[in-house]
Amino acid sequence: MPRAVTPPADASTEPAGLEPGSFRDPESRVFYEGDEVYRALSPDGLSDFEALGGTGLLEDERVVRTELVADGAAGVRAAREGLLVHEPAGVLRHERIPFVSYPYEWTFSMLKDAALVQLDLLLASLEHDLVLKDSTPYNVQFKGARPVFVDVGSFERIRDGEPWVGYRQFCMLYLYPLLLQAVKDVPFHPWLRGSIDGITPSQMRNLLSFRDRFHRGVFTNVFLHARLEARYADRPDQVKREVKQVFKKELFVANVRKMRKLVERLSWEPPQGVWTAYGERNSYTDDDARRKDEFVRRVATAQPWDLVWDIGANNGRYSRIAAEGAKTVVAVDADQGPVELLYRDLKQEGNEQILTLTMNLADPSPGLGWRGLERKALPDRGKPDLVLALALVHHVAIGANVPVKEFIDWLASLGSALVIEFPTREDPMVKKLLAPKRDGLHPDYELGYFERALGEAFEVERSERLESGTRVLYFARPKRG
Amino acid sequence: MTTLLAYLDPGSGSMILQILAGGVAAVAVTAKLYWNRVLRFLRIRKDEPEATKAEPAAGE
Repeated sequence: MPRAVTPPADASTEPAGLEPGSFRDPESRVFYEGDEVYRALSPDGLSDFEALGGTGLLEDERVVRTELVADGAAGVRAAREGLLVHEPAGVLRHERIPFVSYPYEWTFSMLKDAALVQLDLLLASLEHDLVLKDSTPYNVQFKGARPVFVDVGSFERIRDGEPWVGYRQFCMLYLYPLLLQAVKDVPFHPWLRGSIDGITPSQMRNLLSFRDRFHRGVFTNVFLHARLEARYADRPDQVKREVKQVFKKELFVANVRKMRKLVERLSWEPPQGVWTAYGERNSYTDDDARRKDEFVRRVATAQPWDLVWDIGANNGRYSRIAAEGAKTVVAVDADQGPVELLYRDLKQEGNEQILTLTMNLADPSPGLGWRGLERKALPDRGKPDLVLALALVHHVAIGANVPVKEFIDWLASLGSALVIEFPTREDPMVKKLLAPKRDGLHPDYELGYFERALGEAFEVERSERLESGTRVLYFARPKRG
Repeated sequence: MTTLLAYLDPGSGSMILQILAGGVAAVAVTAKLYWNRVLRFLRIRKDEPEATKAEPAAGE
């Protein structure tokens, strides 16, 4: 099932670079050798892969680039021993996804697009008598704004009388989270982060009101589903037998098509204020904005950066500037609204460079799942070589009460170069954040203190006070040793 | 379905739902074709103490 496609930062706890999140499906297992991503296949898994090879789906751009590794490659042979219960029958090599992300970090449209890729690939598979054995968004990763299906081990040959085995999982991890946000305007992120298997049918039913059952697809997929689940829970053997007698592929296809229509129609719009602010992104005319652009551009294009994190990315203005000089930019913001709009634009542009994520930096994604290793914490997915923290420190320090020094130390722990902006206490936004607080709070939020803390952890190469006088920009590199 | 070796639990109720709700809307022809089978299937279920009703829409 779910697999990450970037080696863990510290693979030493796993034998032979084993991906700790890739254990649910016994037919295949992901591991790493150097910079390469491999997948060991069981004999059945290999037969399924060979069947997949004949369909043309491996060349589909929605599926991660994959090749069968010639048998006997020494390092690979050594690595694959003991990976599966049976001796692995074959090994695949996958293209690496620049930065791994998870559904609880995606915006509404990202989860929806991942769902559509999942369903479209399932429909395409069915044409060739293949199916996807599961339906989890952890099998989808994003290259910029383009979803890519990464679990090639999920394709298998269809069996007679087999229903859509992944239907329940699709509901729990795709449909219900999307419905929660589309119908109730409640973000799905805390739920998906809190429950690796998603929302159960009965939980979802209890979240909805009587009126909600008239929303398209809700009655069948939530209310009826929860009811039937309760009714048949204690008779799995009997149900399996009977379903097999009547189930036909045509019904499978009809179910998936119906689900696709339902998902396609789901929508969520950020509040009006977000649209307004987003629309102003290119209308900055004042000198401050121009000089800030130039400051960031000068750093971004000074050297070829591999991975840039733009934390507090908002509408992505500086992510786009960073992308002029970087291979991959991860644009993170706690507010889903602007990130959603940015994703829509990037998707429209066919951007494969900027990955948009929504996450509160004062409460970043932790390690989750079995042993806390199935889903990785943010810094364990590959550290950046440049971080942009523009108009962010006041939100973290005042809004979330994180001591200024601790925030700087956390940035230093990433080991990357840094562009950071410090809005002084006189800045209108800072005043607004301080207003509801008791006088004298946040004594560490002060320019001199900030500069001392920054200077302790970083070598400041350049700084610039913007015209308005309330904002100062710094470019700094981590101190070595 | 002893040969069905999914590592994922499809869920008994979830499988039944696919029969009750799947064919009806999408393709009329298949719906007709399989509705008979659903009815036949449901007659089998009548032998059970907790027989399900033949009208799925009234299921709630």
